[in-house]
Amino acid sequence: MPDHTSNGMQCHEFDLLLTDMLDGVLGGAQLDAFQAHARSCSVCGPLLAEVEAGRNWLKGLTEVEPPAGLVNNILASTTGVDSQRLRVNVAAQPQFSWWERVQAWISGAMQPVWATVRQPRFAMSFGMAFFSLSVALSMLGVKPADLRQISLRPAAIRHTFYNTQARIVRYYDNIRLVYELQAAASKIRRNVRPAEPGPAKPKEHKNDTTEQPEQKQERNYSQSDHQFLLAGAPLGPSVVYPLNQDLPVVSVTTYRRFV
Amino acid sequence: MLVRRCVAGDAAAWEEIVRTYNRRIYNICYRFAGSASDAEDLTQEVFIKMYRTLSSYDSSKGAFVTWVTTITRNLLVDHFRKTKQDRLTDSIDAPVSAQEDAQPLSEQIQDQSAPPDQRVRSREVGESVHAALSKLSPELREAVILRDLQDFDYREIATVLKVPEGTVKSRINRGRAELARLLQRTYRQVM
Repeated sequence: MPDHTSNGMQCHEFDLLLTDMLDGVLGGAQLDAFQAHARSCSVCGPLLAEVEAGRNWLKGLTEVEPPAGLVNNILASTTGVDSQRLRVNVAAQPQFSWWERVQAWISGAMQPVWATVRQPRFAMSFGMAFFSLSVALSMLGVKPADLRQISLRPAAIRHTFYNTQARIVRYYDNIRLVYELQAAASKIRRNVRPAEPGPAKPKEHKNDTTEQPEQKQERNYSQSDHQFLLAGAPLGPSVVYPLNQDLPVVSVTTYRRFV
Repeated sequence: MLVRRCVAGDAAAWEEIVRTYNRRIYNICYRFAGSASDAEDLTQEVFIKMYRTLSSYDSSKGAFVTWVTTITRNLLVDHFRKTKQDRLTDSIDAPVSAQEDAQPLSEQIQDQSAPPDQRVRSREVGESVHAALSKLSPELREAVILRDLQDFDYREIATVLKVPEGTVKSRINRGRAELARLLQRTYRQVM
């Protein structure tokens, strides 16, 4: 803005008083000098008209309405809750007792779990698990009516445990299939055992001074044991025959069965 | 009082603050940024920043509305700087004197010769003024918005903009004059 004096007022003074003049706070001699400068100055005169026009344009602008969800969005982004929920909580908070608050907290904490559990696939799984458990309990002889008379004393629990264990073992042993399998297994074991080299058991060899290797007895029906007996010799330890005496010798073969 | 309650953790007090000031802040952002979507985002940012820094408000240093407007203005300046690259062809970055070569507003507004009725004409005039406002430099724009649209006094504007009152008055005068020149040229071309 050119700074020259016209009617006792410089252009920069005119510029400073322009807002006051438009606001209506300028009066007296100052207003006269201002108006005189505006009429005589080729720069400040049009400037006054433009500023006044511009202000009128701006005054014609109306306020715009904010978007409908702006307040809720702001509250959600600052406090984390929307307006409706906030209002409900503020109004209802004094009416809750501590027990209701605990329940509300628990239900709030369990809500994700319940939401998962309520899904059809989980519901079906729980149903099948319950069915399987009930079938297993009924097979074991557990009846719901028995649970009422159950004693929780340690001795009673121990007694129940041993009883149940014995019952299970009996039940298992009495199954026909198990019995047949056990019989077959014992038979196989009996047949296989002779072929296995058994542990060398020390045997008592009383009155044996020959130091000869021990003859093994084969455990089969064809094993023969040849003993030479004197046919006429009476049984009994007190009878002694001289070795050079001729006595009839009879060969006897005995068959023994070793089991 | 409301601020003190809010700082103490009263959520209802914060909601009251939001309801009281959201319209004003949204309008400032809308007139400065020029678009409704930007204004909505900026308004939310203003309140988020306000929520975080509410405890730093000192009532002895000024009115709450001045503090809120200062936060808004600072965020608008940041936004203007961030989006500067997006407006390389926009004349808003150019000096005020260079805006004479800007794209005429007649290309952005429809023919004004035969408005169907006064209401439509008023709306179209409002749109053309809004478009002209966005052509002003940010310094002039914020000054006229605060003065002519938000009715702040010069001292409050000086506090918000952190410039002397004389500078505020000068910017307001230049802003108004520039706006009038843009609109006069527009309507002269249309008619």
